[in-house]
Amino acid sequence: MVDALKEARRILRPRGILVDARPDSRVLAYAERGAATGTYRQAGVIATSREELTNDRRSDDAVATAVRSGWFRSLGAGRFWHRVLFEDRAALQRYLDDHARFVHRVRWMVDPATRRRWDRDPWAIRRAVRHERFARF
Amino acid sequence: MVTSSSAVGRLLPAISSRLRPPPDDELREYGGVALVRRKRVIDVGCGDGRMALGCAPYASAVFGVDPDPSAIRLARIKARELGAANTHFKVGVAQELPFADGSFDVVILSWTL
Repeated sequence: MVDALKEARRILRPRGILVDARPDSRVLAYAERGAATGTYRQAGVIATSREELTNDRRSDDAVATAVRSGWFRSLGAGRFWHRVLFEDRAALQRYLDDHARFVHRVRWMVDPATRRRWDRDPWAIRRAVRHERFARF
Repeated sequence: MVTSSSAVGRLLPAISSRLRPPPDDELREYGGVALVRRKRVIDVGCGDGRMALGCAPYASAVFGVDPDPSAIRLARIKARELGAANTHFKVGVAQELPFADGSFDVVILSWTL
């Protein structure tokens, strides 16, 4: 990862801008049920898998090394949220089963009967994305 | 098992852009189109070109690099469909980018590190 940042610095002109954006594992993601009105309501929380937390920490360390080495200086950071949409709850579960980022189990905030009633409704995973802009020294 | 950092780019397949935010939304969060307007931009780990193609209407030139040849093929097809003549996609890894020093105004690492 540090090698990638070093290479990014090499191909940037002086004072060029580097944007680093990644899923933000410092906050939980949410399983949300879509209503007919198009709004979404939180129905559970989804944690990041242990392996991905480790990878995210390695990325953080690489960025910190790049800044400490004087390759870049931060111009500001932020976070935004986005929804990955699913046609129903089974599709959401398939996504969790197939992808490594999240743990495979939702920690539900609603009871099983309610979840079953919502099975065929649209669902979403709402997750945070962190980003930071850097200027090349 | 965690792979070494130098191998990550070679081992991870590009992930479908439908699981990512729309590029305009993402660009807005980074400061808007001013970030890339009339600039030479490279999207490292571009996957199927989602972010690179989102920058193309504003930038002077956009390059996308990804280790997954099938993702690069898809990005090129999308670029042709969109008529994005200022986009260029190459197979490559973030650790060894085939460009000269100081070639770009903006480097984007979106879901790459």
